[in-house]
Formats: sequence, C-alpha cells, structure tokens
Amino acid sequence: MNESDSKLLEGLRALAANSRREAPAHVEERLLGEFRKRSRARVRHRWLAVTAGAIAAGIALFIWMRPAPAKLSPAAAALSASKPAPQPAPAQTKTAALPSDQAQGSEVAMNFYRLPDADILPPLDSATIVRVRLPISSLRLMGVPVNEDRADESVQADVLLGQDGLARGVRFVN
Amino acid sequence: MSNGLTDGDSDLLRRIARGDEEAFLTFYRRHQGPVYRFALQMSGQAEIAEEVTQDVFMVVMRSPKQYDPSRGSVAAYLYGVARNFVLRRLEQDRPYLTALDDPQSQHAQLAARDADPLSDLARNERVESLRKAVLALPPAYREVVVLCDLQEVDYAEAAAALQCAIGTVRSRLHRARALLAEKMRAEERCAV
Repeated sequence: MNESDSKLLEGLRALAANSRREAPAHVEERLLGEFRKRSRARVRHRWLAVTAGAIAAGIALFIWMRPAPAKLSPAAAALSASKPAPQPAPAQTKTAALPSDQAQGSEVAMNFYRLPDADILPPLDSATIVRVRLPISSLRLMGVPVNEDRADESVQADVLLGQDGLARGVRFVN
Repeated sequence: MSNGLTDGDSDLLRRIARGDEEAFLTFYRRHQGPVYRFALQMSGQAEIAEEVTQDVFMVVMRSPKQYDPSRGSVAAYLYGVARNFVLRRLEQDRPYLTALDDPQSQHAQLAARDADPLSDLARNERVESLRKAVLALPPAYREVVVLCDLQEVDYAEAAAALQCAIGTVRSRLHRARALLAEKMRAEERCAV
C-alpha cells in the first residue's frame, strides 16, 4: 500500500467516523403510526373473518339440525295447503302406479288440477302419484271443456292419491 | 447493524408478522442507523435518507416473512432493500449532485459543527472533499465504497446485499479506491 492509498483509507475512516448518524425521531414516529394503523386494520379484518365464520357455521348447523321434510312432493304440498273433506275422485279408476319422481325425461307435465271435491278430503300426509290413461270424456267431470270429436280418445295423466287412496288432483302429461 | 442473523432477529420478524409493536420498535432501533447512514452516504441528502429508511422499514412491516435467511444476513437484506430504494430515488432526481455544493447539506453542516478551529480545519476540508468525491463516483462503485469502507461491512455481506459475486465486490472496490485516490491527488495539485 503506497502513501496515497493509506491517506485515502485514513480519509475514508475519518469520513465514516464523521457520519455516525441515525434517522431522525420523526421517522420512527411515522413508522409507529403506520404500524398501529395496520394493527387496527388487522384486528378489524380478524373480527370480520370470525363473524363471517360464525354466521356460516350457524347456517350450516341450522341446515344440518332442521327436521327432515315431509314426504310430500312439491305439487302435493301445494295441493295439501287447503281444506279437507272426503269424496272419491273420478280419476281413481285406472292403475299403473309409477314412482312419484317419474314423469320426467322428455315428458312435459302441467301443474296439478285440484279435483272438485278435494277440498273436503282430509289434508294430505303422504301422497302417491299414479300414471293412468283417462278417456277424454272423463275430463268433463273435472270441469274441463271437451272436444266432442275426440271424446273417445284417451289422454295420459298423473293422479295424485292421498294417504287414504282418494284422488286429490290430476295433471296431464304430453 | 450486526453481521449475520442477530440473536432474536428471526424471533422479532416472527413477532412483527403477528403485529407485535414492541418487536417492530426493537428491530427498527437495532437496524435503522446503518440503513439511514447507507442511504445518506449514497445520496448525500438527508431527505432521501429519511424517505429510504422509512420505505425500508415499511417493507419489513408489510412483509416480514420476505427475508430469507438462506440468502444472507438481515443486515445484507436491509442494505439490499435500501440500495434499491436509493437507486430508484437517484434515478428520479438525476441532478442530485447539485446537493454537493449546497451549504445547507447535512454533511456540510455536520463537518462544520465538528470542526475544531484551525487545527482540524485542513482535516475536515479533506474529509469533506473526500465525501464529495465518493458521491461523484458512479453508483456501482459508490455502493461498494459506502458498504465496505464507510459501513465496514465484510465482502461476503456486501456481495449478498448487492447480489453479486465477492470477486465483483473486490474488483469494484479496487477500482473505486483508485478513482478516489486519483481525484484526491488532483485536488491536492489544485490546492498547491
């Protein structure tokens, strides 16, 4: 190391010693303020997350614990929402019982027609749907206007039977 | 700033991640001096040094888990972050060298305050001109001089901070010192 190098290193050491400085206090204050702001936001977010979690858990518990729905199909449930009293229905004549969730596939089913005397039957506790073919002429009994030219033909229908075996409603299936 | 992972630094960073204010304060007080001095010696402006110090510790505050011990010490990591902020600021304020002649410059004030009448005058003048010469170095040379000669960081840590090989640090430092020596000789010649 020559003289100029050692002079330079000495100068650098002096410069380093001259520069023993620290950040001003207001930098620390600003950073602390920011840290506190972030901490408050973090606490707020944590509470939001906890609250959202509690609500979600409550909903899940409610769904899990609520009693199982009655066996009625939605159509039967809609039908059962009226007054009782018995009387045999005209559509009860034919057979061919089908599972209630049939009548799907490519079929198009209308809503159930309430049969004229269904109002006086006991309310529905359970229901069975029976797929039948009805003569078009029998639709007159339900108050449906019938084309006399086609009165001899038959139409496919689902008949809704109550727990007592009495018909409450009928729907037509294309 | 101590070399390597100071006992407790990793614990402090974990606590900072959990929002522990005391841990942040301890970490800040432990490391702010070297970060501030590095930024000041690199930029020559107290305003930039303050901003850089604040930005560096904001990074620590926002993502304390960003530090990876396998890539070097906490000190090297902080120098690296500070270096990026300083270089960005210097890019924005390109004509920063005007600050060198500003009599209000923090360094100039400091030198004046510390000067003993007459006896230390020559020495302080030398130091001040050396400070200007350091600030006039290209950033790649300036940062090795600031880290290795002024902050007394070892080559390995400087290399980790600058993300380059130790050999590169050595060669840049050698070249930087040669540039400084040349500048100081020229100044002496002018003075005579």
